[in-house]
Amino acid sequence: MVYQNKILKTCSASFYFSILLLAGCASTNGSIVSTDDPYEEVNRSVFYFNEGLDDYVGEPVSSAYDFITPNFVQIGVGNFFNNLKDINVILNDLMQGKLLQAGEDTGRFLLNTSAGLGGILDIATHVGLEKHDEDFAQTLGVWGVPKGPYLVLPIVGPATSRGIPGMVFDAAANPATYIPIPIRSLEMLNMRANAKGTLKVIDEGALDPYLFTRESFLQSREHLVTDGQSELEDDLDIDALDVDNENNTDLKQASDALNTTGSSLEKTGSSFDETSKKIDQLNTRKLKNLRR
Amino acid sequence: MSVMIEKKYFFILIIFLLALGSINVQAKQQTAKQVVEVFQSKLLKVMQRGKTLGFQGRYKKLEKAINTSHDLTKITRVVIGREWVKLSEEQQQKLVVVFTQLSIAAYADNFKEFSGESFKFDSEEETTRGGMIVHTYLQIPDNKTVKFDYMLKKKGGNWRIINIIANGVSDLALKRSEFTSILKKDGFDALIIKINEKIETYAK
Repeated sequence: MVYQNKILKTCSASFYFSILLLAGCASTNGSIVSTDDPYEEVNRSVFYFNEGLDDYVGEPVSSAYDFITPNFVQIGVGNFFNNLKDINVILNDLMQGKLLQAGEDTGRFLLNTSAGLGGILDIATHVGLEKHDEDFAQTLGVWGVPKGPYLVLPIVGPATSRGIPGMVFDAAANPATYIPIPIRSLEMLNMRANAKGTLKVIDEGALDPYLFTRESFLQSREHLVTDGQSELEDDLDIDALDVDNENNTDLKQASDALNTTGSSLEKTGSSFDETSKKIDQLNTRKLKNLRR
Repeated sequence: MSVMIEKKYFFILIIFLLALGSINVQAKQQTAKQVVEVFQSKLLKVMQRGKTLGFQGRYKKLEKAINTSHDLTKITRVVIGREWVKLSEEQQQKLVVVFTQLSIAAYADNFKEFSGESFKFDSEEETTRGGMIVHTYLQIPDNKTVKFDYMLKKKGGNWRIINIIANGVSDLALKRSEFTSILKKDGFDALIIKINEKIETYAK
């Protein structure tokens, strides 16, 4: 689920720490623990809570909004809030040293704010100034801050621990944060209505919606942080995922283990030799003493 | 008599030409890029006729297109990972069958409409492990383009797709995480039931 309300994101930072505390007490119950998701049990509970909330509140309200709002109005609302986000994109472009992109995004913002009637029309895309996706969590990633464990935050949805300070910064840098809440909720409704297709794909296609959301979120974020350079390197290692090759690895590990056992046997043997030599020496001394 | 000899030589010549033709067909095996492009064009054609074909019609068309371009046995094996060797041969075969059905059904359900989409080839690269990556873009009118990277491996001399990475999200990695988790936690039968449920959902 994509819940992008930045105010709520900011508010739930304290909740994050309580989750961490809870997670510390939680046992994994023998399930498979991913290194990216050490708090899976707690995350799953929050995920199902969010799903329930979406089923009872998010989906019905956004469906009603979708029904009464013409498509061009929805596009306009989306454009307006996306244009405000461009300020944050420019700041993050600069912090990541992407000066050319910062120039393009400034052009985008100025064009859409003026000729695009305050951002309602996305003229910049039509003239070839593509929208970029940058945020402070990505900037932290570029600076080398590790992403940390995967977290599912109440109402907000998927995040990583690196994403928390990212959310706070992005919220502070987005003028939309300072707009009264009733107007902001329009953005949330609009985003939920636009995400309908994606959510349908997850509902229909995922065997385990929690894992599907987690994996796609983590991969997608990695793709954004590295500007598309990461996934192929990881995936090139497909042979390593193949069982045939895994069997080879297993064989290697087994032969390594055998070698280790062999060398330890050798050591045991040599220490046995040493012990028997010492016993021999002792016996010779005893014999000498007896002779005396 | 001379007519008979001429006929004999003519017959031999025809056989020789036919043999040459078949060698020629062998030599003209598709490159990795061609495999991807043929599949993409078939997919777009199905999308264009999506509504008139209906789910079953799209499924039939895509079944052939997917089977001739993807190595679904290898994909299933990689998706199941270490658990694969613990399954009986019968279970492995069953899994390949249902996984193939699931993959085709997912395509048939998700690509049912056409609104001017097109695929554009970007580049291709050879991997260190003897595979190929074909980089393409899905262009959607009035929308952001989606990066589609296809990973291919050779199967019996033919290039076959083994993974699709859309905007950095690997289909294989997603499925692997789900399938191995269900297999370990709930077992083989539960996994098959879940896959069949999904196929039914797609068909509705």
